[in-house]
Amino acid sequence: MKFSISREKFLQPLQLVSGAVERRHTLPILSNVLIKVSEGALWLTGTDLEVELISSVSLEGDYQEGEITVPAKKLFDIVRGLSEQSDIIFEVDANKAVVRAGRGRYTLSTLSASDYPNLEDWEGEVEFELSRADLKRLIDSTHFSMAQQDVRYYLNGMSLETEEKTVRTVATDGHRLALCRLHYDNINLPARQVIIPRKGVLEITRLIEEDDKLLKVQIGSNHIRIFSTDFIFTSKLVDGRFPDYRRVLPKGGDKEVNASKDVLKSAFSRAAILSNEKFRGVRLNLASGELKITANNPEQEEAEEIVEVDYQGDELEIGFNVAYLIDVLNSIHSDKVKISLADSNSSALIEDAEDDSALYVIMPMRL
Amino acid sequence: MARKFIHIDMDCFYAAVEMRDNPAYRNVPIAIGGRSEYRGVVSTCNYIARKYGVRSAMPTAHAKRLCPELVLVPGRMPVYADISKQIRGIFARYTDKIEPLSLDEAYLDVSDSDMMHGSATLIANDIRKAIFNETGLTASAGVAPCKFVAKIASDENKPNGLCVVSPQHLDEFVRELPLGKIPGVGKVTLQKLNHLGLFTCDDVRRYPFDQLVKRFGKFGPVIWDRSHAIDPRSLNLTRERKSVGVERTLSQDIQTPDECLSMIDSLFPKLQERLRKASPSQRIHTQGIKLKFSDFQLTTVEHRFPLLDKHYFQQLLDEAMARRNNRGIRLIGLHVGLPTQRDTEQLSLPFPELESSC
Repeated sequence: MKFSISREKFLQPLQLVSGAVERRHTLPILSNVLIKVSEGALWLTGTDLEVELISSVSLEGDYQEGEITVPAKKLFDIVRGLSEQSDIIFEVDANKAVVRAGRGRYTLSTLSASDYPNLEDWEGEVEFELSRADLKRLIDSTHFSMAQQDVRYYLNGMSLETEEKTVRTVATDGHRLALCRLHYDNINLPARQVIIPRKGVLEITRLIEEDDKLLKVQIGSNHIRIFSTDFIFTSKLVDGRFPDYRRVLPKGGDKEVNASKDVLKSAFSRAAILSNEKFRGVRLNLASGELKITANNPEQEEAEEIVEVDYQGDELEIGFNVAYLIDVLNSIHSDKVKISLADSNSSALIEDAEDDSALYVIMPMRL
Repeated sequence: MARKFIHIDMDCFYAAVEMRDNPAYRNVPIAIGGRSEYRGVVSTCNYIARKYGVRSAMPTAHAKRLCPELVLVPGRMPVYADISKQIRGIFARYTDKIEPLSLDEAYLDVSDSDMMHGSATLIANDIRKAIFNETGLTASAGVAPCKFVAKIASDENKPNGLCVVSPQHLDEFVRELPLGKIPGVGKVTLQKLNHLGLFTCDDVRRYPFDQLVKRFGKFGPVIWDRSHAIDPRSLNLTRERKSVGVERTLSQDIQTPDECLSMIDSLFPKLQERLRKASPSQRIHTQGIKLKFSDFQLTTVEHRFPLLDKHYFQQLLDEAMARRNNRGIRLIGLHVGLPTQRDTEQLSLPFPELESSC
């Protein structure tokens, strides 16, 4: 097996697949990248058995077909460290892989490609296309609400749901929930719900740019696959039942507050500095036309901010984890945010006043 | 302003209820509790049984030896709970500051009450009268300027009695008090105190404070305070449950892990049920198991755990069984620690499926 390639062309797919490779794995071959030359193209694969990434690039110079695995991190560091205009020759000789560039020569250990784990074969049952920007929006609007290492393992991921003309994502850690849904007039999808594991979700956001290029999404019974122009991403799904978001969408929040997102966000961010580091509670006092935000910590330090808001109604005092509020405000695009509240023990519904595709539910704290 | 506390204690509550509802029990010694064949203990007994030396928490077998004609009555908790609710309703007519200690006991704070011309003594008697008229049961009451003295006082003239310790007589009343009367001073502490030559509160008053702290740790200052008639506690109106548990003493010792597992199987739904009542969010702080071996030695294994999980008990059981040393097991208990106020500050989304997912 042999191929030649420019550093620039090699680096990009290499970086891409390295994301799926676990650094310290009990199975040595999983820290390797699978390199395959076939029909004029170079194919790279990285996997941790849960997530698999394949990336390819066409080859211009001479090549000999074949496949091999080499340590991913080392290969990536070497290629990255070469000077920008380098041309690389990669060759397998006996049991060693040799990388040559200019006057440099690197000999890497290899493991047989036939031992490289394959995700078992599966069939796509639901398929649809959407732009990279849309998929990014679906994920970026919700992923921060996923649970982390929760015993309710099905919360450690993001629910992806298709239903007729709608694609919907939901994430919740039991204290807060984020939901985003996009409508497409030109599709009609079967009703289907799957849970993408946390690692897979974070990997997808790392991979995709916010542009109009189309992606194909394929959902099987245990896997999801995303085809892009420069990679194929596959993830196992979490086997479990995601809780029904409809049951916790607040109804009857009669207190509606409209405010500038940027003003709120900076006020919360400042108040957060003096909130209890562990519990992160801030107190909100709502009165006609204004919102008072206060925070204090065990050192008896105190923050108070008064923000002008659009609100007419009864006074209300309610506490929240300030990190949850800031997470939501960070994912809202316009400057107009709408918050609906009922009482100090019921959840808040937060929306972008100019875009109803996403909504956020946060349960209060008792302060 | 002087504080006024009333401690109300029903007279042998469970036994009194049984005697009220069943005339056959009225003139014989009775005890509420499990049968001796099944290794039960006495939870309450009437005054006739007490004359024989029968006491609460005594193994039934022992009680039977003291009083062979003792009639054992199985308890009817739902009935007792109903009556308890009824009694709390009576308290509520006088004050909203009520701290229930159990089904048959409560503290009331009537400091701010202007009923009965502001007389705590008259209020206490009025409550006792109302309880008798409406339930047919008698209660004893203690009235005092602090909580612990009110509790001790309610025991002074039992049954169906009242004892008032006025602020003028407080010091005198406490001075004479045997230390064993102070709530929290149990058998072991009392023995240690007696060993130091301390028998009454007056003795403690003459004992150096730092020596008391040295020997009794953080309970030392409490003993010292109480002996000086100091009890700054106000009513605890939001009593938080710290744990819920279920346990069963087995009619015969069991030996194998499999037998324990089937006990866990049968206890688990009861624990679930209790947890559902105590913590609707189902969030827990710790999960633990308790075993009592054939030699009465207790062992508990408890770890932090966020959600009640039956399978986790198996792991806890393995750990507890490692301490068995071939002894039989006579009691098995399951419990969960509930998150404290601090942990529950963040409320949870009301997902029905997350609440019943265990």
